[in-house]
Amino acid sequence: MMNVQENPLGPVMGIYLCRAADEDIKRMKVASGGAVTALLLYMLEKDLVDGIVTAKRTKGLEGQAVVARTREELLRTAGNKWSIVPFAARIKEKIEEEDLKRVGIVCLPCQAQFFSQMRDFPLLETDFGERIKYIVSLFCMGTFAFEAFLNYLRIRYDVPPSAIEDIRLERDSLTVKHEGGELRLPIKEVYSYLQAGCLVCTDYTGVWSDISAGSLNEERGWTVMITRNPKAENLLRGAKEEGYLEIRDGSHVMGSVMKGAKDKLARAQRNMMTLL
Amino acid sequence: MTPENGNTTPGKLRVLNVNFAGCEGCNVSVLRAYPKISDVVDLDIAYLGERRHESYDVAIITGGVCMNDPKSVEELKEIRKISDIVVAFGSCATFGGILRFCRGGQEPRPDQRNFQPANSVIRVDYSIPGCPPTPQMLVSFFKFLREGNERRLKLFKVVAGVKKLSGFDLIDDVVLTGLCIGCGACELSCPTGAIRLIEKRPDLIQEKCIRCGTCYVRCPRASSIICMKGGD
Repeated sequence: MMNVQENPLGPVMGIYLCRAADEDIKRMKVASGGAVTALLLYMLEKDLVDGIVTAKRTKGLEGQAVVARTREELLRTAGNKWSIVPFAARIKEKIEEEDLKRVGIVCLPCQAQFFSQMRDFPLLETDFGERIKYIVSLFCMGTFAFEAFLNYLRIRYDVPPSAIEDIRLERDSLTVKHEGGELRLPIKEVYSYLQAGCLVCTDYTGVWSDISAGSLNEERGWTVMITRNPKAENLLRGAKEEGYLEIRDGSHVMGSVMKGAKDKLARAQRNMMTLL
Repeated sequence: MTPENGNTTPGKLRVLNVNFAGCEGCNVSVLRAYPKISDVVDLDIAYLGERRHESYDVAIITGGVCMNDPKSVEELKEIRKISDIVVAFGSCATFGGILRFCRGGQEPRPDQRNFQPANSVIRVDYSIPGCPPTPQMLVSFFKFLREGNERRLKLFKVVAGVKKLSGFDLIDDVVLTGLCIGCGACELSCPTGAIRLIEKRPDLIQEKCIRCGTCYVRCPRASSIICMKGGD
């Protein structure tokens, strides 16, 4: 297994381009092929997990941890991006309240690291790592200090928080969909509204996850998926065989993902020199 | 025999647990782990009888060392000499833990006033904090040690060189520097409920912090920065 320091992508078993085969998911305007939603649906419907812990946007950029146990509940959370990070403690509450024995978690790289470390190394009797079956991490370039960012959108562009429908962060730009239309901001402009902690984060894909997923500009409509262990590999294969996912080889996008990872690593190293 | 070489290890690892000062929570955790690792580990622990070997592949130190007790200090040095790998297991052995509050003058041993983690006396190879760490933690540790999976064990290797970590360090290094992203891992990791998230940032109830260091190693930001700094 390669060292994280040597390889910013972490351990990689396979890299694929995936999209949902499910008509319901296709009809929803999910970001990039809906493959994550389709994969989660496969886990739920084939009884590989009792529930999926994911996030649902509540208001503005704020999210809330929710548990989806059925197809309907899951589809209601689809397409929502984790713009901020819900509290880990709330996720624990959710898992215990609903007494889930096997969960799939969709999260950001930092959370994937925490959950994976908890699963591998339970330091506390109260840990619930053994309940976490699959960790799916989304590619991440950083999260926003959202109060400050919302205030900026209101003052500079006259877009009130209540009008924001969706925010998507890509490598070099940010798209804000709102009631009055769409706002495309270069990342440089909003850079200072990323949380400082994200500026020193070295992990783009979520190296601690079982599966990492994200989208690339050059493969619109498809989700890049990186499998990190045999368990993840089997999961993808199963989802394909059962007709949930369309999968094709993604070796040709490895370079682009690597570039994203290296960019984030370089940014972190640069910022560590000044911030630490 | 070098366990780092992983799968080629013939037979079982000879493992010694020695408990120094503490509540016995950690060595009980080691004992509880034993049935799950007995196929790969041959454990000598006081609960099961006398030591059977002259030297060991792995020594697991539990509890803090009383610096006013020369016998303990010498015993720890001796363990270093006869062991290939020394693991500090539990917060007292790794970071001092609650024993850091000892100030002596109490019966029955008023002379015992100062307790330190194992790495204040000897070189430690891996430090695993927790109050106490779970038996499953030790099972995982031996799994990754035998596989030679340094990536997974790196954090524990890096903190083996750190003598003190606590909620105070978490606040200083992550929150006051503005690096906290509000994920809540610390709140969830605190065994005494000393950390509460207020306005999406952790706040430390100082009187409750037992200096176990669990929050620090569990913080995604703190742990990755400490690994980068201590990294090779």
